[in-house]
Amino acid sequence: MSAVSEQTQVDLASLVHKHQANVWRYLRFLGATAADADDLTQETFLAVSRSSFQQRSDKQTASYLRTVARNQLLQARRREGREINTVELTAAEQVWAAAPDMDGYLTALGNCLKKLDGRATTAINRFYRDKHSRTEIAAELDMKPEGIKTLLRRTRKILRTCIEKNPAPPKNNNHDLTNRRASGDL
Amino acid sequence: MSTENQNTNDLHDRLVDQALQEIVGDETPPDLSGKILAAANTQTEKLSTQATGDETMIANHEKGRKRWVMLAVAASLLMAVGLILPSVQSSRKAAQGSKTTSVNTKEQNKKSTEKPTDHLQLMVKPQVISEGDSSEGRDQLAPAAQHPKSQMGLQGLINEAYAATPPAETSESSTTIYELGDSKGESSSEQSGLRRTGRTTKDGRLNRNASGGVGGGGGGDFGVETLRALEPPIISTDTFEQRPQRREKWAYVDLGGPSKPERRLPAIIIESEGEEERLGIEKGSGPGTSGDQYTRIHENPFIVAAGEAAVSTFSIDVDTASYANVRQFLMQAGRLPPPDAVRIEELINYFDYNYSGPTGEVPFASHVEVAACPWHPEHRLVRIGIKGRDIQRESRPQSNLVFLIDVSGSMNNPAKLPLLVSGMKLLTRELGENDRVAIVVYASSEGLALPSTRGDKQDTILAALGNLRAGGSTAGGAGIQLAYQVAQDHFIEGGVNRVILATDGDFNVGTTSTAELERMAEAKAKETGIFLTVLGFGRGNLNDAMMEAISGKGNGNYHYVDNQTEARKVLVEEMVGTLITIAKDVKIQVEFNPAQVAGYRLIGYENRMLRTEDFNDDKKDAGEIGAGHTVTALYEIVPAGKSVDAGSVDPLKYQPGEKPASAGLANEKSGPASDELLTLKIRYKKPDGDKSTKLEFPINDNGNSFAEATPDFKFAAAVASFGMLLRNSEHRGETSYDAVLEIAESVVYMPVSGREPDPHGYRAEFLKLVQQAKNLAGE
Repeated sequence: MSAVSEQTQVDLASLVHKHQANVWRYLRFLGATAADADDLTQETFLAVSRSSFQQRSDKQTASYLRTVARNQLLQARRREGREINTVELTAAEQVWAAAPDMDGYLTALGNCLKKLDGRATTAINRFYRDKHSRTEIAAELDMKPEGIKTLLRRTRKILRTCIEKNPAPPKNNNHDLTNRRASGDL
Repeated sequence: MSTENQNTNDLHDRLVDQALQEIVGDETPPDLSGKILAAANTQTEKLSTQATGDETMIANHEKGRKRWVMLAVAASLLMAVGLILPSVQSSRKAAQGSKTTSVNTKEQNKKSTEKPTDHLQLMVKPQVISEGDSSEGRDQLAPAAQHPKSQMGLQGLINEAYAATPPAETSESSTTIYELGDSKGESSSEQSGLRRTGRTTKDGRLNRNASGGVGGGGGGDFGVETLRALEPPIISTDTFEQRPQRREKWAYVDLGGPSKPERRLPAIIIESEGEEERLGIEKGSGPGTSGDQYTRIHENPFIVAAGEAAVSTFSIDVDTASYANVRQFLMQAGRLPPPDAVRIEELINYFDYNYSGPTGEVPFASHVEVAACPWHPEHRLVRIGIKGRDIQRESRPQSNLVFLIDVSGSMNNPAKLPLLVSGMKLLTRELGENDRVAIVVYASSEGLALPSTRGDKQDTILAALGNLRAGGSTAGGAGIQLAYQVAQDHFIEGGVNRVILATDGDFNVGTTSTAELERMAEAKAKETGIFLTVLGFGRGNLNDAMMEAISGKGNGNYHYVDNQTEARKVLVEEMVGTLITIAKDVKIQVEFNPAQVAGYRLIGYENRMLRTEDFNDDKKDAGEIGAGHTVTALYEIVPAGKSVDAGSVDPLKYQPGEKPASAGLANEKSGPASDELLTLKIRYKKPDGDKSTKLEFPINDNGNSFAEATPDFKFAAAVASFGMLLRNSEHRGETSYDAVLEIAESVVYMPVSGREPDPHGYRAEFLKLVQQAKNLAGE
């Protein structure tokens, strides 16, 4: 009994350590707020700890965790009486699963950001880093707010293309975000 | 493009958007491992205490087999008892006979502290049934008194058998037995080899909880294993002993989470004897508990404007911590703040006011406005506003910054170290090649995490910040010493030299008393010319009192950071003001004209009051004003001819030619007749100067009604009213939350001098705070 229980504990700890960041990101991607993502990530791992789940490959484990997380989100939305768009969830899962691992994705994004310049860089910085509104950015760049919306969307598309063309090798440590973020810093 | 493609493109766009939020906007996934593992433990505990054997099995297909194993083990145990009992009984007889020989190690240890009769009473217990155990568990398990009875192992059975024999002692009531059960727990701990320090009976209770809680209903093996692994936290204090079982167990789990996990921290971080008690129950137990420390505020009373009492002197205060703290209470904790957490001047000064800046040599401009007082319509309200000279971000001087970061165990909370690191990263991104940054950390001891590094080496600084981890006790005093030393080593003449201390203020090693820390900060500020910024984080053991005090003495400012937005406000939007001091030791003195003023009351600034003579004493420290900062102070004035609600003083017998300054109707005129309402005097020093300069402004009252006041005046009055309501002030007069909302709403969205109203949304947020306070107050 003790060996099994302790092993389970250890496995849960390593499972959490390895996958929690991506589960959280996935939930955010599915539309959960940051606070909801916190709660649902916890619920996901607790559900897994209650189940007879046995670890397999990283990819299979990640996929299993996403399924549990998605179900947790669905349950939460049902409890809140909110409409559930399962089509979107399915499509979202496909997009997420098709993307390279998130560490690699973020590293690639960091590299691609360095290639941006001019108004695109300013718009990204102001919007994401400085949390300025489109109106504020429009005033700074002498554009219309709608133009900023288009500029941001176009820039994201450029970044997506860049990431797909220049994928970065995956990293193993989900928590080692510092250097990657630093390298991607604008 | 098909709808499906469109949808897929949108999702890809969303993916990039989310990645940008993380990589550029710093929205990183939180570390939830502590929370999850703690919850998993609790979950396990719940399952185990609910108790049947099969519920605790790991896999369903093993349930049947386990049950058979348990039955087999139980049968073996009964046989073992049958074999062991005679020898135990004979040993006991031997022990009783000689009083020097014991049956087992536990007895041996207990005899030194307990009378034999007590011992025997201890062993008298009702019959219990063991659910199974292993021989390994027999040697290590805590005994019956430590476990729920259903979990008793072989040792328990031995005790049962042993206790069953002495008929004389079995007449003790069951109540007595229960009381003595704790002692029994102690001796068992010793037997398990888990004694770490000389413990009292309370330790036994802790051991029981630690093992029994985790171990599950199926027996003690897992509990023992866990207990072994977690052996260091068996430092139990009286405080732990008082807690429910579940919380004790949390003490052994790594943290994460707002309040409960903080309870767990002490057990993890205690490193030396004597720390436990102080780090125990009073700390980190959530809003409003004694873990948060505030200085008592005695509200300024009305003072009769007569003689020397007609002069009011105080130091300016640009801190904003109290507002953010109040917001945290209202919006996150969902409760009204304790009155001593509400410093009204900090609420008022949280907001920027549209005062015009200086044009000449003087580093700041002064503004005074007088209108009717909204909560006492017969009174007048005087607003004194100061605006520091703006310095453009790009033309700010070179900076030598030392981040002094608390990485002690108490900071291991999402609202503390992660938020702190995130805030420091925001600031780092604003720095450039003209700046230098060093990082000093302190926990059990101080250390240099990053030598002074040029500000454009962002990767290095950000990586150093990202590597910070919390753990250990808090040698804050030693950290302050080192930080000042590092700042001194890289001092920039004519530049910004500043230590930025980020902490919850829970210093517990080395220099810990507020008075000592104050003296240290004051001495360092004077010796080195280095300024101080204090950033407070978290809840539960927030030492607001100490942080406010040392920032005041250390030529500094104090801000409380409750969320990312506040971090951005303090460290990015107001970075120039936070870092660059344009005048220091700024004192305000107001002389009221008794011909116009019967009495007055300064709203807030209670802990910034100075004696009249301190105004001209350059050795007396006062507050600093940063570039672009606005400082606002409000006086409520009782016009001449009205009665002043002040305490009464008996007539003075030995003061020739003077009438006593007493309560009641307005006093007589004592100087030349004047229409002036008051004279405002301001003293300040240049940031690197030692000699002060005095400014003087006579002020008249043009009789404006409150409706005629400027929007900024109205808003400041609304904030002051709000503060008085939160403090439940006796001077709040006719104000109410509805009145505050009415006043504030009327001006929040009003453009002032062509400036966009409320560009950052702070005033709109104020409305939400008032509404929330109104709801919480049940009005």
